[in-house]
Amino acid sequence: MLLELNNIFKWVNQGGNRVFLLKDLNLEVEEGEFISIMGPSGSGKSTLLNVIGMLDGFQEGEYKFLDESVHAMKEKNRSKLYKEYIGFVFQAYHLIDELTVYENIETPLLYKNIKSAERKALVADMLDRFNIVGKKDLFPAQLSGGQQQLVGIARALVAKPKLILADEPTGNLNSNQGEEIMQLFKELNQEGVTIIQATHSETNAAYGSRTLHLLDGRRDHK
Amino acid sequence: MIRNYIKIAFRNLKKNKVYSFINIFGLALGLAVTMIIGLWIVDEFNYNDHFESKDQIAQVMQNQTINGSVETNEGLPLALEFQLRDHFGDAFESIVMSSRPDERYLSLKDKVISSSGRFMQVDAPDLLELDMLEGTRKGLKETNAILLSETTAQTLFGSESPLGKSIVSDNEHTMVVTGIYKDIYKNNSFNGMHFIMPFKHWMSTRWGWLENQDSNWSYNPFFIYVKFSENADLAAVNARIVNLKKDNLPVGDVFNSQLFLFPMADWYLHSNFENGKQVGGRIENVWLFGIIGLFVLLLASINFMNLSTARSEKRALEVGIRKSIGSTRRQLIYQFLSESFLVVLVAFILAIGLVLVSLPAFNTIAGKDVIFPWSSSLFWMVSLGFIGFTALVSGSYPALYLSSFKPIKVLKGTFKMGKFAALPRKVLVVTQFTVSIALIIGTLIVKDQIDYSKNRPVGINSAQLIQLPTSSQDFSGKYDLIRNAFLSSGSVAKMGWGTSPATSIWNYSSGFEWDGKPVDFNESFAQMAISFDYIDAVGMKIIEGRSFSRDFATDSNAVVLNKTAVDYMGIKNPVGKYIRGTAAGPNDVPMQIVGVVEDVINESAYEPVSPQMYQFGHGTGGFYYLRLNPNQATSKSLASVEKIFKTNFPNLPFSYDFVDEEYAQTFAAEERIASLAKVFTLLAILISCLGLFGLASFMAEQRKKEIGVRKVLGATVTNLWLLLSKDFILLIAISICIAAPLAYYFMSDWIEKFFYRTDISIGVFLIAGLGALLLTVITVSFQAIKAAIANPVKSLRTE
Repeated sequence: MLLELNNIFKWVNQGGNRVFLLKDLNLEVEEGEFISIMGPSGSGKSTLLNVIGMLDGFQEGEYKFLDESVHAMKEKNRSKLYKEYIGFVFQAYHLIDELTVYENIETPLLYKNIKSAERKALVADMLDRFNIVGKKDLFPAQLSGGQQQLVGIARALVAKPKLILADEPTGNLNSNQGEEIMQLFKELNQEGVTIIQATHSETNAAYGSRTLHLLDGRRDHK
Repeated sequence: MIRNYIKIAFRNLKKNKVYSFINIFGLALGLAVTMIIGLWIVDEFNYNDHFESKDQIAQVMQNQTINGSVETNEGLPLALEFQLRDHFGDAFESIVMSSRPDERYLSLKDKVISSSGRFMQVDAPDLLELDMLEGTRKGLKETNAILLSETTAQTLFGSESPLGKSIVSDNEHTMVVTGIYKDIYKNNSFNGMHFIMPFKHWMSTRWGWLENQDSNWSYNPFFIYVKFSENADLAAVNARIVNLKKDNLPVGDVFNSQLFLFPMADWYLHSNFENGKQVGGRIENVWLFGIIGLFVLLLASINFMNLSTARSEKRALEVGIRKSIGSTRRQLIYQFLSESFLVVLVAFILAIGLVLVSLPAFNTIAGKDVIFPWSSSLFWMVSLGFIGFTALVSGSYPALYLSSFKPIKVLKGTFKMGKFAALPRKVLVVTQFTVSIALIIGTLIVKDQIDYSKNRPVGINSAQLIQLPTSSQDFSGKYDLIRNAFLSSGSVAKMGWGTSPATSIWNYSSGFEWDGKPVDFNESFAQMAISFDYIDAVGMKIIEGRSFSRDFATDSNAVVLNKTAVDYMGIKNPVGKYIRGTAAGPNDVPMQIVGVVEDVINESAYEPVSPQMYQFGHGTGGFYYLRLNPNQATSKSLASVEKIFKTNFPNLPFSYDFVDEEYAQTFAAEERIASLAKVFTLLAILISCLGLFGLASFMAEQRKKEIGVRKVLGATVTNLWLLLSKDFILLIAISICIAAPLAYYFMSDWIEKFFYRTDISIGVFLIAGLGALLLTVITVSFQAIKAAIANPVKSLRTE
């Protein structure tokens, strides 16, 4: 078992009313799964991903990651945990504009205090793997959207995470580019990386091994 | 890791060139100004500091009570020297009598130069710690000896060694060069002293009748410098000598003379006396500029922090990304701090460059020899402290605040700075402009005061009036001869002679009687001897009676008074009445008052005119006053005057000054302060405007979307311009309201110290306020209009 969510509640107070973002949510994820989360806008897809990614908290329920209780952890340990095991891929790529492709991919390794020689090797692997060696000295603004997302994925993968969380990774891309990215995810999954993606697209969802439907913060079993 | 941070920092700077320029240049400018002011202040404090025994050197001075007010003088009687030597030898290591600085012609064969120096006693070179290049410090023993400064020696002798050679002083006395000393530093109270001749020589040539009168206490033209013994206590010595003069005066002392030692440490910065008490002096300017320097630094730092924090909000996204890929908060704090440290460091290096470039110009304005303190560890420590402090303060906001964000908030793009973030920034802008506006008001008032004093009627007509110094004995008895030669040449319209500059007092006199003199009235008159034609030649106005005239043989014992003197003496219808001297001396013959003239400024343009007595003069010394022919080109007149001078005095150099230029010199100190204040105020304004410009551009960018939406909804460029400008204008208006009373309070205090002063006009405040508003509108409008005319589609699409 990679992670387990039990009876997760998350809400915000709006004008005295409690508005639920996640309501009594349960989810178990095994290593090696490729899960697609679907649902209309505002159904809680991103919130769920953020909770899983430990970027966001919740009010009630239990969250176990590799048998450790995340909800009871201190912020510091939590960030240590996700730094170690989780990679993020964003819809808007969120590359650092002032860094080159190479440096963007290298940054997570810097934060993990990996030695220079090893960093070089790891980044070079990624550049090779995604066929972007020729672009390593370019800045994000000089790349197309698809290429930026490739860099984004390379950056998420470089620290060898167990889990990739992708929030509408193809949302800003045209269909060809989108398909490439999804194909890539499929390959990664076959190599053993666990992937959870949020998506609007049935086609993209079909790449996953199972699909989770959300509506108003709870699982929609229809 | 650090390399990664520095890389990002540099790329950020490069990407936002305008912002980086404003930020770094603004801070560098502020730093440079503060450094220069700091160097200047250190230099002021180091004045006379290089004297090894500066704590033992003092000048003897006296306080005298004249009609209820205490006046402090440095001139002392000869008898005092003997008293000090005979009875206080244990308290002093050395006692040096000296003349005031005086001009002499020094000549070697055909070469004649006019040089300034003093006549001092044997121990002077030791007391002054002269750095002897040739000869020894014992060179003043012989009465015909002379010590020369390096410069003077070089001018006269070139590369030849002057030691043992003879030169002629004032075309009359042959002196043997017994030593050459290194030129005296600029920050030494004795700077500009290019020769030293023995005091004995001066006594025998100038005060022959006083010589050997060991007990004469009545003439006070001598300066006394002492070096007291290492273990002597200044206060104790003071207590012993305080009544020395008073107790020894044979006829009793109406002025209650109190002697005291004025220590060298106070000579330069604390040399003002009021009613016998030390009341500051140049130290006030040191404080004034110190405060200005601190303010400028404050402005620059505020700017830097304002802009840095404003910019850092744009980097919230980066913080989010970094956090989501594993950065800890501590790492982000390090990143922002190292970035701001780097920027401050760059600014500091730039500031050093600016200081190096502007030091020569500054030295010219300030009359200094300040050099950059490369080897001063204090300087580097203070600088390092400042770099650390500024970097910490300007970096801590982004470091601590931004690093605390939840990454999802900024990544989703819903992150907006709250109202809270804008308030401190507004406070800082108000602070900045309050300081700037107050500085503008202050500078304008200083300028007003100087202009007002300059426009004060001087009492003479100084147009094309020149003065020729006539201290040499060669002039004696030649006055009528050369006057005829000048007048008949047609180049000189009028000519007169007087013992001192027309607008200065070189001599005070007391000991007079007149009918109706109040009991216990201790009079003191400014005194000057003049020729028949002086009053007419310099253009003074006669109110009553007449000027001296060749038609009255008795005029050799006549006197002309200024209006203030008449009021001071309390006589009605003065013309025809007599003034008598009370003691034996040059004044013991009764003098008839033949005329009263309108006051001529004689103290300074800021001070009230002193009662002055113009006596008829027979002697030489002082100045010839020549009114050049107004219908002839000045250069032509001067050439003709020089020719006549050279024919009559072939051995003397021709030197002259325009009287109006000489008078303008009396404003030099105030004008120096004013021009420095002006420069620093301009820089302060520039720095503030830089900051405002940067902030406005940031605000415009932050509200880009709002502007786009408003534009789509039909807002005109004018609407938008108003929308963006009005916040700033409100801030400046608040600044004006704070700055005006503040500046009024301080400046009315400053202006109080001038007797002759202008009123602080409302116009000054209007100019400063409107000026600041106008500058703000221009600065802000540039950004506001740029944002307002941008295509809204573009700005909306970026969201």
